[in-house]
Amino acid sequence: MLPKFEYYSPTSLSEALDLLEKYGEDAKIIAGGTDLLVSMRDRILKPKCLIDIKKIPELRRIEYKEGVGLTIGAAVTFKDILEYPNLEKKYRVLWEAVKTIGDMILRNRATLVGNICNASPAADSAPALLILDARARIINKNDGVREVPLERFFIGVKKTILKPTEIVKEVFVPEPPANCYGKYVKVMRVQSEDLAVVGVAGLAYRDRGDLIIRLAYSSVAPTPIRVKEVEEVFKKKNMSLDEKIEEAVKISSEKVSPISDVRGSAEYRLNLVKVATRRLIKELVEVV
Amino acid sequence: MSRRKIRFKINGVEKTVEVEPNKTLLWLIREELKLKGTKKACERGDCGLCTVLLNGEPVKSCLVLAVEVDGSDILTVEGLAKNGELAPIQRAFIEHGATQCGFCTPAFLIVGHWLINRNPNPSREEVVEAINGLLCRCTGYKPIIDAILEAAKYMRRT
Repeated sequence: MLPKFEYYSPTSLSEALDLLEKYGEDAKIIAGGTDLLVSMRDRILKPKCLIDIKKIPELRRIEYKEGVGLTIGAAVTFKDILEYPNLEKKYRVLWEAVKTIGDMILRNRATLVGNICNASPAADSAPALLILDARARIINKNDGVREVPLERFFIGVKKTILKPTEIVKEVFVPEPPANCYGKYVKVMRVQSEDLAVVGVAGLAYRDRGDLIIRLAYSSVAPTPIRVKEVEEVFKKKNMSLDEKIEEAVKISSEKVSPISDVRGSAEYRLNLVKVATRRLIKELVEVV
Repeated sequence: MSRRKIRFKINGVEKTVEVEPNKTLLWLIREELKLKGTKKACERGDCGLCTVLLNGEPVKSCLVLAVEVDGSDILTVEGLAKNGELAPIQRAFIEHGATQCGFCTPAFLIVGHWLINRNPNPSREEVVEAINGLLCRCTGYKPIIDAILEAAKYMRRT
């Protein structure tokens, strides 16, 4: 049984923002509800009011503009993302990450913006969004839209910079670098529906011949993290590729801070970070 | 907590019901409408045994609020057979002994029915992908997969 609450289903964004202004911390936004309702059932969250945003047309919008980027509205489901034309090619790393989330039935309801607002360290869409330089577009009743890079959006386990009166209207993912290749590696206990023991997203491309590598991780720190320091390693001139890869593996393993839980020990996770990082970079390098 | 009047269609029948916002679609189906084919188990989206079709798409009804289905069309296992005649998916499950203890059967029937109507020629991998979110604790997935593939054959013949 869920705790009691009032339910609103506004049909415009301004109506939703008015409700948020009125209820503040007592309100929660519901889109897919696949995380929220579980937390409410467990009495971790007891909002007095739920604001359902699925009837707001502008939040259901997903749109790719060539040369500009991809806009994913707050009520866009993972299913919508997987079915959007050409995303599998254009935003391969994100598409792959989305495909690993929950299962087909959950993806019919669960949303990408919900995934990042829930701010689980294990959020599978986050590493891909981080290496693609995604930005959250945040709005409240009184101010205009503010854009926040996803790297600054997460501040702790299940914590974001979002204020009680604010809503993430959409996530914007800029046009990926030309001829890039991306991949998401999700290590799980079973080859089925589960959270990641370790997740690694990688993106590689050539900038005037120079190899560029970006890496980000889930399930190995209080928040999903992009390890920017490895990007510098691949810009160095006086190292062989193998040396660079080993240096990147070392840096990544120092930057993460995994914990032990039901899915694996900290030590095991750290080892997985090294193995998965090494393998992923080698695969990326072969393609670009 | 104010009650809300919702109207929806379930298994082809129009209904109007007043519900409290904190009630789930699963509660609506089992407790209000007394349709007990849809099973209640984990109530956190893991097992998938409460899966029904909402506007033609599978959803885990424990994670949908009843108030959210206002204006929707719902199909549960009770709506599969038409005029006393079993649906292809039901015939195939009997044929293959795919029911086992039976507790997960309604969910697998619903998802199998959804899949073969959307894609009457699914590969084994596509069947596995479709049922990924459903747990069978008897763990006999093989007869279930076989039955869904067989039901797809029935569909192609008709």
